[in-house]
Amino acid sequence: MSKHKKIKVLLIEPSEIISLGMKEIIDRSSEFEVVSTLTSPELYNNIQTKPDVVVVNPVVVNYNERFDVRSYFCANNENISIVALTNNGYEESVMRLYDGCINIYDNAKRVIQKLQSAVEEAQNNPKNDVNELSVRERDILIAVAKGKANKEIADEFNISIYTVISHRRNISRKLGINSVPGLTVYAIMNKLVDISDFN
Amino acid sequence: MRKNTLYSARMKMADLISADNELLSILQRTGVQLGFGESTVADVCSRYKLSTELFLMICNIYSFRDYDINVESLCAHDLVHVTNYLRASHIYYKSVCFPQIHNKIHKLVEGLDDINRRLIDKFYDDYDAEVTNHFAFEENVVFPYIDSLLSEGKNRKADFSISKFEENHNYIGEKLNDLKNIIIKYLPVEYSSPIRFEILKDIYDVEKDLHKHSLIENKLLVSLVEKIEKSYEQA
Repeated sequence: MSKHKKIKVLLIEPSEIISLGMKEIIDRSSEFEVVSTLTSPELYNNIQTKPDVVVVNPVVVNYNERFDVRSYFCANNENISIVALTNNGYEESVMRLYDGCINIYDNAKRVIQKLQSAVEEAQNNPKNDVNELSVRERDILIAVAKGKANKEIADEFNISIYTVISHRRNISRKLGINSVPGLTVYAIMNKLVDISDFN
Repeated sequence: MRKNTLYSARMKMADLISADNELLSILQRTGVQLGFGESTVADVCSRYKLSTELFLMICNIYSFRDYDINVESLCAHDLVHVTNYLRASHIYYKSVCFPQIHNKIHKLVEGLDDINRRLIDKFYDDYDAEVTNHFAFEENVVFPYIDSLLSEGKNRKADFSISKFEENHNYIGEKLNDLKNIIIKYLPVEYSSPIRFEILKDIYDVEKDLHKHSLIENKLLVSLVEKIEKSYEQA
């Protein structure tokens, strides 16, 4: 199989030892290749090539702030497989968010098998319909809550007004809140903005 | 009684209520007192000087979701009854529905921390002011315009028409829906007072009612006024 047809993997793992080992195992396979490695999902927007599969250690996900790990990567509802990389168990409610789970004690063959079934899982049961806000939606919600007009938001994020409106429609659909004051209440209650910004 | 049979003038008023108890609030705002025995809808309406046809139409709008509002059979004379009803309906909201929600909001926020209390209080107060303005505009501008249309006809003041109302008439239930979702989903789970459930029931009720109210304004009132405006233009 030629290289550019390989399934693109993004690896997010804070331990360099594990990260390098996992990259080696994946790159040796005929189907997958690691296109980037990160230590935190917060850096996702900096990478050039968008992956088909994200292998991420759940320790780097801030579940209090953003429970749905998918919201880091699937801002525009892309269908990306998300695979957990762990050495210990997580609660079922957390694991349900992933398409698969690789244990660091799995052998190379098993790792590749798990990646394959995760890709199939994501294709057969897309989970991108979750109602959590995406990263971009959350940022736009913050701007709306702060009273910014659509035009200002479009300029700030370098997107068209039409895109702003489309994001706002999705935000309202997900939250069930339409008015700006309602969105502001939501943003403050969820500590996305501070109430002192409004005094 | 079959739920899909529209109401008629010869029905007993009591049967109307047992067909759909939500119609009690229509009696309440039109001033019809209970104790009407076996009287028909037509009897009761004439006793209270209500337009039977309009009364039935309003009840049909409230009870049947797909009811087709048609003003063909209504005339200028009925229009007075429409604005009378809408005014009475405003009083009902202002004196019964919203104070009830406000009292409960007040009780709810007593148990909240400072930030959540300020948030809910402010959100509700702003909404309350919006509702007051909305009703005041209709009472001070729209209804007087309709009164002058009926009394002056062609010589009425030309600075307003019902199409202006139609263009600017927004639905006042939007923030109520937001408040509902905030209380259901986002107010922290620690605030688990029974009042939280009670507020939601009240909000659902008034929301449903406001939806019907705006149907009456947007479909019935606007169409009827347009029809009368047109009749003066042709005269």
